[in-house]
Amino acid sequence: MVLIAAAMMGLIGLVFALFLVTANTRFAVETDPRIAELEDTLPGVNCGGCGYASCAAYAEAVAQNGEKIDLCVVGGEETTRDVAHVMGVKVSDEQKDKLVAVVFCQGDSEASAFPGEYRGIPECAAAIYSQDVAKRCKYGCVGLGSCVAACPFDAIHMSPTGIPYVDAEKCTACGNCVIACPRDLIELHPLKYDAFVYCKSLDPGPIARKVCNKACIACNICVKAAAADDNPEAVSVTDNLARVNTSNYSAKPEYGAKCPTECYNSNRNLVKKDEAMARIKASRASRAEAVET
Amino acid sequence: MSLVVLIISAAIVNNFVLTYFVGICPFIGVSKKIDAALSMGIAVTFVMTITAIVTWIINRFILIQLGLPFLEYVSYIVVIASLVQFVEMFIRKTSPALYKTLGIFLPLITTNCAILFVALLHTMRGYGFIESVVFGIGAGVGFTLAIVIMAGIREQLETADIPKPFQGAAITLIVAGILALAFMGFSGLVAA
Repeated sequence: MVLIAAAMMGLIGLVFALFLVTANTRFAVETDPRIAELEDTLPGVNCGGCGYASCAAYAEAVAQNGEKIDLCVVGGEETTRDVAHVMGVKVSDEQKDKLVAVVFCQGDSEASAFPGEYRGIPECAAAIYSQDVAKRCKYGCVGLGSCVAACPFDAIHMSPTGIPYVDAEKCTACGNCVIACPRDLIELHPLKYDAFVYCKSLDPGPIARKVCNKACIACNICVKAAAADDNPEAVSVTDNLARVNTSNYSAKPEYGAKCPTECYNSNRNLVKKDEAMARIKASRASRAEAVET
Repeated sequence: MSLVVLIISAAIVNNFVLTYFVGICPFIGVSKKIDAALSMGIAVTFVMTITAIVTWIINRFILIQLGLPFLEYVSYIVVIASLVQFVEMFIRKTSPALYKTLGIFLPLITTNCAILFVALLHTMRGYGFIESVVFGIGAGVGFTLAIVIMAGIREQLETADIPKPFQGAAITLIVAGILALAFMGFSGLVAA
């Protein structure tokens, strides 16, 4: 009985297998062999950073619709080169720039401390929605790490002082953190440019200064420095905020040498964790001293 | 039972989706556009009919003859899986656009319980060959009817002013429920 049953199932399976094999050869679809090759080249993490739903979809778009070859942010330069190799085209200079997430806020728990305490859902958007707390600046980083949670590559972390820092090596510029930040503080910029105004506060100078001692107060010092360097288009002030020109990245770090609040600099918020820890310890120690005396 | 009654029974009165609640997954998944819904319905009808034929033959000449009725489920699943593979190859070859529209729901016909339901039901009710085939066609037509009606309503819903909490999946499920209620009106039209 068991044997008959097994034999029958085997037979039925075999018949259908043969049927499918013939059908497969009969209905074989010729696909572009480059698509499979491109799929092997791409990282296969399906992060969606290129704007396509999956690596396979991007591979198809490249092979058939002539999509740009440098859209894979995860694989970066290397993948672009491989894709170019498969497609038989050359990598141009502008395609080589590796993008990295940049956090445009320096208002950490020292610079823009909030006197109260937020105890709700640990989500930046929730904190803003509920009572607008965590930090005093209403444009600054909330510090609850929604961007950290959104990062699929473990490349962005919350420093102990409540400002995320980006690990440039791990960052693939997939843009998930850009979307996750409810205050739009994260942008993608080429790694080799580092002069930015790390602030997005639109508050007028006095108010900005009051809520955060690292806020841009629109003092125009960096604009004057740029003008003195015969490069007036590099920095401009609009809506109480200095912004560097990101269409040509001509701003230099030196323009921020006299920035009174140190918001114009070149640190890229790529702070290391131990550095931040050291700073916290120092501030605690000084506070403890103040209590003793 | 005359074949006309059987087909009406399978397609409308005992509509698979709206009365037996089988095959809900593609019913919700592919009912956004009428074109895609119709193609899905036709593909399902095709698979259902062939499945009814093949499973009837297997049941009658192999399983019953050898006294192996307990292999029903396993062998039917094998049949359905192979047929879906075949349909997938066929559609991919003949209409790449349709292949893309149906997407993941095409291989998912394999796990569409409506198909297995057809096979099991004709075995359970002891239909003859012709009856089984007609039953398969009727069930497929019923599925197509349900999914196309659903797609029509959902196309209208796109522009409707739906309250926020009901948008998306919620309103879809509510519509499916109301549709099922409406189809209950047919009960008693024919027996069985």
